[in-house]
Amino acid sequence: MTWLPGGGERRWAIAIVLALAALAPLPLAGPRDDVLNFVFLVLLSITLAQSWNIVAGYAGQVNLGHAAFFGLGALLTRALWTSGAPVVLAMLAGALLATAFALLIGVAAFRLRGAYFAIGTLALGEILRTTVSNVLPEISTLPAASIASYRLAHRYYLALILAAVSVLAVAVLASSRLGLGMRAIREDEAAAEASGVGALGLKLIALALSTGLAGLAGGLFAYYHISYYPAHPFGPQWTFDALLMTFIGGVGTLHGPVLGAVLYVLLKEYLAVRWVDFHLLIFGALFIAIVLLLPGGLVQAAARARRLVTPAR
Amino acid sequence: MSILAQQLVLGLLIGGLYGLAASGLSLIFGVMKVLNVAHGELIMLGGYGAFWLVALLGLDPFLTLALVIPGALLLGVGLYWGLFGFVVRADEETRVKNSLLIGFGLALALHALAVRLWTADERSVPTPYGGAVFTVGPLSIPAVRLLSLAIAFALILTLQLLLTRWRWGKAIRATAEDWQAALLTGIDVRRAYLLAFAMGTALAGAAGTLVTIGYSVSPSIGLEWTLKALIVVVLAGLGSMLGTFVGGLVLGVAEAASAAAFGGPYREVIGLVIFVVVLVVRPRGLFGR
Amino acid sequence: MVGREVGRPLLEVGGLEVAHGDVRALGGVSVFVGAGEIVALLGPNGAGKSTLLNSVAGLLRPRAGTIRFDGEDLGHVHAHQIVERGLALVPEGRRLFGGMTVEDNLELGAFAERARAGRRASLERVFALFPVLAERRRVTVSALSGGQQQMVAVGRALMTNPRLLMLDEPSLGIAPQLVTAILAALVAINRTGVGIFLVEQNVHAALGLAHRGYVLENGRIVGEGTGAALLRDDHVRRAYLGPLAVRP
Repeated sequence: MTWLPGGGERRWAIAIVLALAALAPLPLAGPRDDVLNFVFLVLLSITLAQSWNIVAGYAGQVNLGHAAFFGLGALLTRALWTSGAPVVLAMLAGALLATAFALLIGVAAFRLRGAYFAIGTLALGEILRTTVSNVLPEISTLPAASIASYRLAHRYYLALILAAVSVLAVAVLASSRLGLGMRAIREDEAAAEASGVGALGLKLIALALSTGLAGLAGGLFAYYHISYYPAHPFGPQWTFDALLMTFIGGVGTLHGPVLGAVLYVLLKEYLAVRWVDFHLLIFGALFIAIVLLLPGGLVQAAARARRLVTPAR
Repeated sequence: MSILAQQLVLGLLIGGLYGLAASGLSLIFGVMKVLNVAHGELIMLGGYGAFWLVALLGLDPFLTLALVIPGALLLGVGLYWGLFGFVVRADEETRVKNSLLIGFGLALALHALAVRLWTADERSVPTPYGGAVFTVGPLSIPAVRLLSLAIAFALILTLQLLLTRWRWGKAIRATAEDWQAALLTGIDVRRAYLLAFAMGTALAGAAGTLVTIGYSVSPSIGLEWTLKALIVVVLAGLGSMLGTFVGGLVLGVAEAASAAAFGGPYREVIGLVIFVVVLVVRPRGLFGR
Repeated sequence: MVGREVGRPLLEVGGLEVAHGDVRALGGVSVFVGAGEIVALLGPNGAGKSTLLNSVAGLLRPRAGTIRFDGEDLGHVHAHQIVERGLALVPEGRRLFGGMTVEDNLELGAFAERARAGRRASLERVFALFPVLAERRRVTVSALSGGQQQMVAVGRALMTNPRLLMLDEPSLGIAPQLVTAILAALVAINRTGVGIFLVEQNVHAALGLAHRGYVLENGRIVGEGTGAALLRDDHVRRAYLGPLAVRP
């Protein structure tokens, strides 16, 4: 990926957080449930995409096992919350579990370069999914009392906060010295190492942040769904969704994954009516086009378009 | 004991197909450093090709190979010209990364297309001799799967012969070793890449046909078989087609052994664990240079 | 095709500029090699000698300048097609196909059309020049010594049936007696009419068998002349022939 965006993250962060804040009163306006569900899905997707973006866009590694951390977060959150723990604490615990696992395998995983890291993490994700699906094959359903007291608005607000947190996390990271160091690694690892940037340490920090956020997103998933198979959040489609959203929007940018997430969920929900996986056909093709022609994603396309319209300064 | 032996034999039988599936991936990656993670989807397409040839033309399933292989060759040419040929313009590390990403997009698109065209249902292909079984002592060996193993082995041998005796086969090997030196000897490296990619795709198609005949096909076997192929390539290393075949057999037997030891559901896990371990400890694999 | 003018050089490089990223490797280099000539290219490490040879062979694209082989502009010709026209390079470090046998490596040298018809004769010629290779024709090249590998490399380039043979440091890392054998082989090859463009650290030996030579420093030609003249030249003597500069 040679397209490397400059600053501007702070401005975008503020704009996005303001937009999210504007969405806050939505439940009070008494909309239909499916509208709230749709926005919830967008918010969850933003969080998931941003979490994946941290390792891919800023540390330059393609993590194909991301769903494992989403799943771990969901697993622990569900277990603790259904046992009576307050949901926020349960989610934090889930995030902690995800991060701990990430750091455990991170040192070994980062010994692998590029594509090997990608397929290695893919395998790891599959190992976890298969194991969980064998150990917990039964569907997890909320007890009747929880179903009765289910408030969609609570989930909605949590999703809103989480999306804002993920955007702010990326913004802070991008403009920090850590972020700059990570960008150096992403561009040229050998040179970065030589200049004293501790590559492994920085990658581990990126991984911790990324998987922690993914774990929180997983916790949110567990809080939201009434019933699901415990292995479901470990499925590779969650990784692929995050990858597609981030890449198509613009990997390594702040607003790219947000744009990609919105577009992705829109298309998915719209097209799912007639043809279940059609959105994947489109996104698959779009993805290929982006990798070959426009590695910076739609964000890069927009920047180019803007340059065509406004005269050079 | 004989139950274990039976399981191991069945593992061996599918292992041959793992090896065939991996050989295509290994050839392509070894020659041009392109990691086509849609390889499993190509296997899936080969499988559907066989299914439809049988359903529409009533051919004997094994005979469909005569049509699937050339068809897959052409598909490979098309994919190279239309897609992967652009990837090879970059340096090696970028190639691997880009081909991984592109293969990923391709896999998603092909999977979605398959679901649309043929639904998510499993399909299998009936053979008139389908139930035939060879009995060797306490072991029952399904004839169809045994024949598939033999064909897989024959294809690998053919591949090996092509690579060692055919002028362009040697050119392909030379390109895999050092593409700049190959250019300096007058080899059109782009043509070598094209041939290798087409051959790799043809092998995938053949593997898919044999999988459908002996087992079944559905749109979702793509990811599963890509992983199997990756595991075997990492296990066996690059450079030897026969080594890759043996690697496949090893995986098949390992899966059977682990299923016997830990229970059926963990069959898949052992391969993935081996994969990760070998990847971290010895990226060149067991046989690779 | 334009007829060959008498006296026009086989290889003409004019004003060649090549860059590695931002670094200028060659800045306006002009050299020529006549048909049947042996021309030496001398200079310190990093001067750009390999860059020049690799550019002529088509492995690098120059930023400016022309390369003409037998009157034809090679600017848009692919590397493998350049071999087809009769221009072959023995690259630095041999770059053999390590996992393949001596015979396979040599036979691959005859891959191009121009070389295919006469490949049996070419093979015999290579074995005549380097008898030890005939004995070890079925051996995998990675098992050979450095000197023998160099023979295979030269042989492989010969198999392309070249009119001009370029060599990049053929004596590097080779035992002295084998170096002598290889250089003697080059003279024999030249006697059959093949031109030779030789980059060589062993300046004394190179200038001894070359008709002409060039001196390349920092990407520019700083000297040229006949072999004998360069041997007598003060700068050359001080920089490349003094007791500190000579490498065996």
